[in-house]
Amino acid sequence: MKQDESKQNPIAEQPPRCCTRCINWLVAPHLREEILGDLQERYAHRVRTQGLLLARRRYWLEATAYVRPAFIKRQRSNNPSNAGLSAPFYNPAMIQNYFKIAFRSLAKNKGYSFINIVGLAVGMACTVLIFMVVIHETSYDKAVSGGDRIYRVETENIKEKYTYPGTYTGMAQALRTDLPEVELVTPMLQIHGNTLAIPNADKRFKESVIFTDNNIFNLLGYQWLAGNAERALVQPNTMVLTKSYALKYFGTEDVIGKTIRFDNKQDLEITGVLEDHPVTTSFPFKMLVSVSTLKTLNPDLDLNRWNGWGDNYQVFVRLKDGVLPDKLAKRFESIVVKYIGKEALSEKRFKLNALSEIHYSSNLSGRTANPGLLKTLSFIGLLVLVIACFNFINLSTAQALKRAREVGIRKAIGSNRRSLIFQFLAEAALVTFLALLLAGMVSMLAIQPVADTLSIPLSLADLFNLQTLLFMVGLSILTTLLAGLYPAFRLSAMSPMWAMKKIAVVQGNQWFSTRQGLVVAQFTVSLILISSAFLIKRQLNFFRNADLGFDKSAIITVGLPENRPEKLQALRNRLTSIAQIQEVSFSMNSVSSESNWMQGMEYRQGPSVTQVKTQMKMGDSHYLSTYGVQLLAGNALQDSDTANFKVLANEVFINRLGISRPLDAVGITVYYGDSKQFATIAGVVKNFHVNSLHQKIDPTLIQVVPNNFYQAGIKLKSAQPDRESIKAALTQIEKGWMAIFPGHVFEYGFLDETLAQAYQSEARTGKLIEASTFLAVLIACLGLFGLATFTAEQRTKEIGVRKVLGASVANITALLSKDFLKLILIAIIIASPIAWYIMNQWLQNFEFKIKIQWWMFALTGLSMTLIAMLTVSFQSIKAALLNPVKSLRSE
Amino acid sequence: MRRSDLGEFEEVVLLAVAALSPNAYTVAIAEELERETGNMVTSGAVHAAMQRLEQKGYLRSVWGEATAERGGRRKRLYTVTALGGRILEEARAVRNRLWDRILPAIRLEWT
Repeated sequence: MKQDESKQNPIAEQPPRCCTRCINWLVAPHLREEILGDLQERYAHRVRTQGLLLARRRYWLEATAYVRPAFIKRQRSNNPSNAGLSAPFYNPAMIQNYFKIAFRSLAKNKGYSFINIVGLAVGMACTVLIFMVVIHETSYDKAVSGGDRIYRVETENIKEKYTYPGTYTGMAQALRTDLPEVELVTPMLQIHGNTLAIPNADKRFKESVIFTDNNIFNLLGYQWLAGNAERALVQPNTMVLTKSYALKYFGTEDVIGKTIRFDNKQDLEITGVLEDHPVTTSFPFKMLVSVSTLKTLNPDLDLNRWNGWGDNYQVFVRLKDGVLPDKLAKRFESIVVKYIGKEALSEKRFKLNALSEIHYSSNLSGRTANPGLLKTLSFIGLLVLVIACFNFINLSTAQALKRAREVGIRKAIGSNRRSLIFQFLAEAALVTFLALLLAGMVSMLAIQPVADTLSIPLSLADLFNLQTLLFMVGLSILTTLLAGLYPAFRLSAMSPMWAMKKIAVVQGNQWFSTRQGLVVAQFTVSLILISSAFLIKRQLNFFRNADLGFDKSAIITVGLPENRPEKLQALRNRLTSIAQIQEVSFSMNSVSSESNWMQGMEYRQGPSVTQVKTQMKMGDSHYLSTYGVQLLAGNALQDSDTANFKVLANEVFINRLGISRPLDAVGITVYYGDSKQFATIAGVVKNFHVNSLHQKIDPTLIQVVPNNFYQAGIKLKSAQPDRESIKAALTQIEKGWMAIFPGHVFEYGFLDETLAQAYQSEARTGKLIEASTFLAVLIACLGLFGLATFTAEQRTKEIGVRKVLGASVANITALLSKDFLKLILIAIIIASPIAWYIMNQWLQNFEFKIKIQWWMFALTGLSMTLIAMLTVSFQSIKAALLNPVKSLRSE
Repeated sequence: MRRSDLGEFEEVVLLAVAALSPNAYTVAIAEELERETGNMVTSGAVHAAMQRLEQKGYLRSVWGEATAERGGRRKRLYTVTALGGRILEEARAVRNRLWDRILPAIRLEWT
């Protein structure tokens, strides 16, 4: 009875399939029949006697009994072609043959080979360059010994959820006394814009210097050329220079004992010379001055302050071996309690940030890397490489028909599949190798522009180091496999019968082939990049042309080393006497600036108090007229308004106070924080962008505080001055400036250029995306061109017949282009939402931004279609114009 | 005499081949041994033993007929060679002689 059942049920007859397959693959071929037969017979018996479930379980047990060397070991054979790995495909003669055939087929199809090699080379060059950038950016501060124990003490404002790289000046001393876990404490105070000069010589430069102590040498392991590393910065008024700076000032390396004058005030003795720093350091300090010098420069300076700090004062520590930074949180809490007070615990927290992170956050070197950008870059590099590989795959499989007969004959005379795979891989390897050579040359040419665009100090030496060369070797192997495996398997799988019959079936019944899929993928990537480039460009244009609420053209800014009123008045007199100059205004910083003075203001109406976090702008009476800021109500400030505290407010400020009409705000008093000091609003100005367009407009007050004037804005008379008149004005300004501030270095800037620097990182991203867009489109078009050529060639006869029957050139061009158009349309449909999503994310970075509109994608889609059609139509028209006599003759 | 040549399991398998001849093949032997011993015997173990015995020259094999039960695969039929026969005889003789030397009294006590 049971037997009948199992006979009727064929599934019950079959033992577990996966297990059978495993055993089939595992055991030696000459034993397979016997073993599988035995297994199945026993299984069948068991199904009958013990039931299906037990039989299946036993089958597994039985099968595992065959997993032993006696069954797995393959039979030795005298006929080598049947014997697995002993096949001759790695025989030197065969390898030579593979490459010979590869060379011949490359030489035969010069057009395809060219497209393949150029496409791959561009992709590889792109990848190599990006690799170098990523390697460079990730190699900072790796050479410092004991670097894993070095940390920076950072100050976190818990309420703002923001961590500042700087800390209180009292921190260095506090760490030495209250944190026994530290081995070494080094304060670093960076000061920009000081004038350093050789006494009694006309050699002076504006420099930024670091005030630090002797521990820095121990901490960072600088290389010494001369001087005593143990004692160089112990005394006040001593300094250490790098070699190139010694040469810059003295023209010699032998500078120990010589002096440099600091800001016309203090002579500093040089006590040491350092080797120039490697490029990949976050501490490329050229001039180091002993921290005790600060006292002699400014006797009132308190180096043990616990109120207010700046990002330019940073403290680095090296922890003792085995101390975990997380374990020190309690210590820092007690430091807060001891030096600031218990109530500060909820606001302030000190944290340790590892040396390996310093390059990715704000640091004293001014060079930081953005991990997000690095990731995007790596991703783009990979994309471009993959697109280039798709080309190779596409063109190789497209040529399958041409190669079909070759494959057929090879198979017929006894070539096995593996050696065919090897042959096609050898071809891929050859193409890749040639592409690699080309990529090397392209990288050599491109490295300088790339380094400049990204402002990364890369050089040719980075290209020729072992790491990059190894990467290139690895890359070419990867590319060979990426680009070669699929064609190799596809082509070698053709059955000799099909291949020899040479029926030109172009996969007619396949609605969507792999090849078409690859083209769609290529164009999707290209389209995403084009849309992104387009939108970034528009956003940057928006920045450039946005109405900032003030005038930025034709304004020159110069620094003010001193701001005593009589000096300022003298400078004003000098400058206003120059013909080209319309207006001069002294102020603390530019109208729009990244570093600002923030002040909490209070508006008290009886018991209710409105607090406004306000940006303070210090400017004189000429501020509004120089920068073209519009006054809405009230009166402008007078230079004499220093004593009675009059201020101008912007619209945002009065709106915060709950006042909508500017006129109503005039005469209102506002208090500085919770103090008794107050100011009266003398007038209201129209909103102007006090920050970059990344941010909202802050509530702002303008006040006359001559003590804080560090900059003069000089408005020229003509709105669009030419180069000559600017030059003339500048020489005049410099002359006047030098007369007022002798012994200082004259530096100037143009307001519009300074403002543009706020968008530098966006401009950089834009350039990058543009470049990769260009490459991606180029590669995709190369591939499309190759495919179109191929299609046209394939259909030569069809076109001939159609022409004979009366088809016009336009007809045939349309016929050939239609297929590609379909692919591009699919790519547009896929790419647009992705691009929209990505760009929407990017635009979130800005408070003031463009709107993404559908026509932008339509436009990029249209331009892509145009580019693609141009590429395709070149071939289509060529094919359509061909005389049918020629195309039909050969048979 | 090279006794070490013949393991205990090998000896049983060799005996079973002799007993089931001319229809001795892996599955038949495995099932026979299972029946006789009551323990599970995998065909793999039997097969491995027979492979070794064939290498040593005690067994000879030819392809048999294919059956539907085996999924249309042929079975391999094993027969004992003359050498294999002699080895079996020798092994049996050794045992017999030893058995004979056991005193009857002791033999009774076991049962």
